[in-house]
Amino acid sequence: MPVPPRLRRLTTAALPVLAAVALTACNNAAYPNSIFHNHTEFNREVGTLFKILIYLGTAVFIFVEGLLLYVLFRYRRRSESDRPEHVHGNTTLEILWTAIPALILAFIAVPTVRTIFSTQAKARGDALQVEVIGHQWWWEFRYPQYKVTTADELYLPVGRTVNFSLKTQDVLHSFWVPQLGGKRDLITNHTNFLWFTPDSIGVAALNGMCVEYCGASHANMRFKTFTVTPAEFEQWAAHQASPAAYGAIAPAAPAGAAPATGAAPAATPAVATADTTKRGASVSAAPGAPAQVAADTGAAAATVQQAGYVSYPREKLPAWTIPKTPTPAGLTFNTALVGNADRGLKLLSTGQGGCVGCHMIAGNPVMMGVIGPNLTHVASRTTIAAGLYPNDAKHLALWIKNARMMKPGVIMPTLGKGQYDPVTKAVVPMGLTDEQIADIVAYLQALK
Amino acid sequence: MTHAAAAHSAHDDTHGHPPTSTGLDNKKIAIWAFIGSECMLFASLISTYLIYKGRSVVGPYPHEACLPPGCSTPLKAILNIPVTSASTFVLLMSSLAMVLALAAVETKDQPKTTTGEKILGSSKLWLWMTAILGTTFLGFQAFEFTSFVHEGLTIRTNLFGSSFFTLTGFHGAHVTAGVLWLLTLLAIDYRRGLGPKDAINVDLAALYWHFVDVVWIAIFTLVYLIK
Amino acid sequence: MATTAAAPAIPATDSYVGTSGVWSWLTTVDHKRIGTLYLFTSLFFFLLGGLEAGMIRWQLAVPNNHVLSAEAYNQMFTMHGTTMVFLAIMPLSAAFFNYLIPLQIGARDVAFPRLNAFSYWVFLFGGIFMNASWFVGAAPNGGWFGYAPLTTLQFSPGLNIDFWVLGLQILGVSSLAAAFNFITTIINMRAPGMNLMRMPMFTWNAFVVQFLLILAFPVITIALVFLQFDRFFGTNFYTIAAGADPLLWQHLFWIFGHPEVYILVLPAFGLTSEIIPTFSRKPIFGYPVMAYATMLIAFLGFGVWAHHMFAVGMGPIADTVFGVTTMLIAIPTGVKIFNWVFTMWGGSLQFTTAMKFAIALVALFTIGGISGVMHASPPADLQQTDTYFIVAHFHYVLFGGSMMGIFGGIYYYYPKMTGRMLSEKLGNWHFWLMFIGMNLTFFPMHFSGLYGMPRRIYTYDAGQGWERFNLTSSIGTAVLFIGLLIFVYNFLIAGRRGAIAGNDPWGAGTLEWSIPSPPPEYNFARIPRVTSRLPLWDVKTPTLNAEVPHTDRGDRRLDVDVGTKHTGHSHPNPANSYPQQATESGMHIEEATGKSAKDLGIPMPNQTIKPLICAAGLTIMFTGLLFIHEDKHSLAIATILTGALIMTMSLYAWVLTPLEDHH
Repeated sequence: MPVPPRLRRLTTAALPVLAAVALTACNNAAYPNSIFHNHTEFNREVGTLFKILIYLGTAVFIFVEGLLLYVLFRYRRRSESDRPEHVHGNTTLEILWTAIPALILAFIAVPTVRTIFSTQAKARGDALQVEVIGHQWWWEFRYPQYKVTTADELYLPVGRTVNFSLKTQDVLHSFWVPQLGGKRDLITNHTNFLWFTPDSIGVAALNGMCVEYCGASHANMRFKTFTVTPAEFEQWAAHQASPAAYGAIAPAAPAGAAPATGAAPAATPAVATADTTKRGASVSAAPGAPAQVAADTGAAAATVQQAGYVSYPREKLPAWTIPKTPTPAGLTFNTALVGNADRGLKLLSTGQGGCVGCHMIAGNPVMMGVIGPNLTHVASRTTIAAGLYPNDAKHLALWIKNARMMKPGVIMPTLGKGQYDPVTKAVVPMGLTDEQIADIVAYLQALK
Repeated sequence: MTHAAAAHSAHDDTHGHPPTSTGLDNKKIAIWAFIGSECMLFASLISTYLIYKGRSVVGPYPHEACLPPGCSTPLKAILNIPVTSASTFVLLMSSLAMVLALAAVETKDQPKTTTGEKILGSSKLWLWMTAILGTTFLGFQAFEFTSFVHEGLTIRTNLFGSSFFTLTGFHGAHVTAGVLWLLTLLAIDYRRGLGPKDAINVDLAALYWHFVDVVWIAIFTLVYLIK
Repeated sequence: MATTAAAPAIPATDSYVGTSGVWSWLTTVDHKRIGTLYLFTSLFFFLLGGLEAGMIRWQLAVPNNHVLSAEAYNQMFTMHGTTMVFLAIMPLSAAFFNYLIPLQIGARDVAFPRLNAFSYWVFLFGGIFMNASWFVGAAPNGGWFGYAPLTTLQFSPGLNIDFWVLGLQILGVSSLAAAFNFITTIINMRAPGMNLMRMPMFTWNAFVVQFLLILAFPVITIALVFLQFDRFFGTNFYTIAAGADPLLWQHLFWIFGHPEVYILVLPAFGLTSEIIPTFSRKPIFGYPVMAYATMLIAFLGFGVWAHHMFAVGMGPIADTVFGVTTMLIAIPTGVKIFNWVFTMWGGSLQFTTAMKFAIALVALFTIGGISGVMHASPPADLQQTDTYFIVAHFHYVLFGGSMMGIFGGIYYYYPKMTGRMLSEKLGNWHFWLMFIGMNLTFFPMHFSGLYGMPRRIYTYDAGQGWERFNLTSSIGTAVLFIGLLIFVYNFLIAGRRGAIAGNDPWGAGTLEWSIPSPPPEYNFARIPRVTSRLPLWDVKTPTLNAEVPHTDRGDRRLDVDVGTKHTGHSHPNPANSYPQQATESGMHIEEATGKSAKDLGIPMPNQTIKPLICAAGLTIMFTGLLFIHEDKHSLAIATILTGALIMTMSLYAWVLTPLEDHH
């Protein structure tokens, strides 16, 4: 019997679908945010459950669609005088196709309920506590056990259970690192919990994102998650808890962290240097950016107290964790300018630009704001603006100059002199000149 | 009785139409559907009130007094149960009057001899009575709202204020609509007299009125009586 | 009388359009004309929502794209969702409710013809109101789900959300008014012998949907009232500082929102249940089970709302309960799928365009159903929710389900509505382009979702593994559009150029096919007496109707006996209560006679403009609220009072005028 053309067309249409199904087994690099890579006990349980669902779902799909295609082919009208027998029903069959789906659902329901209770049990007492606070449109991460406050970059020690308490400062958000754990919403006037143990991933950089619609820049509310060794984590946390690495006024009771970090392995400064050079090189190589802003940071770096493991090494960042967001058309910065970190520090400390209103830099007695991200160790982060741009001189400068053009709806005002503010729909008359911005960038880049 | 009246009016108003499938007037079915829908409306309002009960961050509160140092200014429990009991009684009585009004309309054609029969048979009297009692209830509500505002509770004050005023306000709006409906019936009664053929229309108003009354019983119990 | 349909002797379009001109449409109370108005208006909004979808796909075709700004995109996806749900699929269903319910149950109009006109005008004005926001540059941008506290004044100070809240309130009035009307119509206006278990499947589904509407809409009305009060009068229902719980909105919204899904899909199920038997030449398989399944889906639909909220952390008990109830819904839904397949089993399938769409519904809804079960499991849902996997899922339900069913319904009923056939050739192109385009658009979304792409993002970065799927989806949308344009062309020209349809072009079995196409204003010159579920087949092919009872006793218990075709003892209006016509009004076929209701002495409701004025008053009243945020308080109060006055006065004038002249 020849295959009817319609059936053939249907089969042709189904082929790309099947090809796509085959892709699910693809590797990490191609699909960095895939939910099929399960690196925590939480995700493995969910993954196992999901596999049951996929297999059963595929089986049901093939059975039903197969049956349908068979019926369409077998019972197509052959002659206008076809007069089929009028069958009104069949009790046995109808009971059968009520009972069999019920049975299949029972197969799903049992592991479902088991997983619900195991994943929502109380976290271990010795878990690492992380407070996640959602803001429009960035993430604040606090480690109360380490007195660390940071933004948009989450460091987690491999093998230790981490218990997140999730809150929001404004509207609803949702916290998600696809490879580590399912989402949990951040709900106003509520604290939610989520815990998992990144036990089978090793050192890695992962993407996280906001998955509850939260306004204009919902798409731009991303974060990075770095899973590091426990030793690296301790060093990172100690460094993050210490005051700013540049220009800090020693507090009355100096934190114990500074001497401890002084004894960091000798290898780390080398890493840091390599880091700086590499960044310098990459900026120089960028078209239209002939010179390097951070020429002065060499001097600044001398005063930096190298603190062991400061941040995930940039050269090891996988491609998918490096943002490729294009900068807005028409927004430029004279990258030939050479900034001076000292001048930048003074600018901020005298309240220029209004940074003091929102940002905190521990060790700088003027910078006490709590609205925006904590900038104490801003240079240790790989991205700015909630994972939207790489943290380099060019993007920092553009960001300070006109954040509202860089990221829609952002609360941070447009600061560059003569810049058009898309929110107030007016040109900023008084503001920071490019020279001043270069100085501020130099200062911020010194905040390792 | 209502059944017969409805069937009768169906014949009268829709000459030439086939009888309805249930024998009931269309409007009767529709009002029941409407009341079912209204149940969900009030269920949502009452649930919200109950969910937000005890969650207000500032006073005044419905049942619990708040004295310094808990509150900078002393607050007393704000719900006045004796007064509301009186207004509840008034509303219940209005339902009774409504029953009598409907009965009066249905039996308009029967001869009345005794004074008692004449009083019971006066649709105007009982419609007026229902409307007046309903208005009295609204008066109580206006008094209650005013005194709450004087004690510092407005719809903007706290979660209790928002959910309380919205819930009771919605109920009050329903009573107001009912009073307007009754007044409309009265106007018709004065113009051409309501007779058994109008019973279906009075019946609809009565059903609505009783429903609004029942909702108030629920509100009175859940909001006022249960602490 | 019982002869087969011949070509009508008079021009088809004249048979019910007794009077013509704009005024006759503005004042119409004829359910068929109102249905037609619904159909045209909602198709327009469907195209508008489609354009919005096109913009969305254009923006997302490549990473870091700049076709739309973040703000424009957020408005676009909010309006796409709102338009498709409230202004396209619901009113498209309403078009069929209006047109078909009276015809299918053997009635001459709906129970409240003027209320019906009012529903339409309110819907139209509500749709215009909602879309007027584009012209003031403040289209709603809070998502169709409008989660608080993002939608409160603190975070959304513009008019955007005001348009959304007020627009939905207006549209809610329309849906509720229509639902009361159809419930009454179906309960009370069935022809003699048309007991519940003889109603056509479409009417059954429509009946259940009306109950969903009257029970679900008050809940969102209240949720919106709270938001409206918060925004306009400073209440605290969703105010963070006052300690409000944002989950209040979510619970109220989804108690409405999940039944809403069935409001959107059950009418399409109903249409499919009409189309498949006709083109299989077999009655629907397991009629009572289909009816019960519909009721069960609706009933369970009220107990599953929190499955939209598994990520909010409701605790293991609530997760378990809502997970299991959600899975239970799959059972009656599966029963429907199998019953459709077994209706075709052993049949003689004719692949008309309508049939293709109906089959596509069965095939595509199955996919949506399977992915639905995948996120009925709360832990698994944590990985899926708010990703494109969900977008894929509900588009398989709403496009693969609702829209495929509705397109099938349009091809199937267009001849009845216009008297002319849509082109099957163009229909074939339309179907295949839409079928392929639909799958090309939405199937890859399963993968972009599983590979971690969140919903509602206006842009995404390169290198995340999403490019290929997004580009495919966008190409698919273009294919969909070509299909849609072919449909629009077909739809518009067939009214003039299509082949004459006659009473019953498809050989169907239900009442609406026993009368001329388009039907005369009074529908049935003589009300038929119904003796079976497929009365027309009894007349046309009596020898073929094997008298197979559904079960030995099953149907007898319900007092419906397919085998012996008795009227049903318990039915309150047996034909003999209608003495002057009982003897001659058995099942019959009515030819187009060109006679008006007046000629035949059939009482018809008078045309009236009052419902339109009343609807306008209502809309003006809501519009007044907008001025409050423009700080024009006196203008606001003046507008609100004017609107209220217009509404009240026209309402009184309407209620106190009799529906029809006395005879």
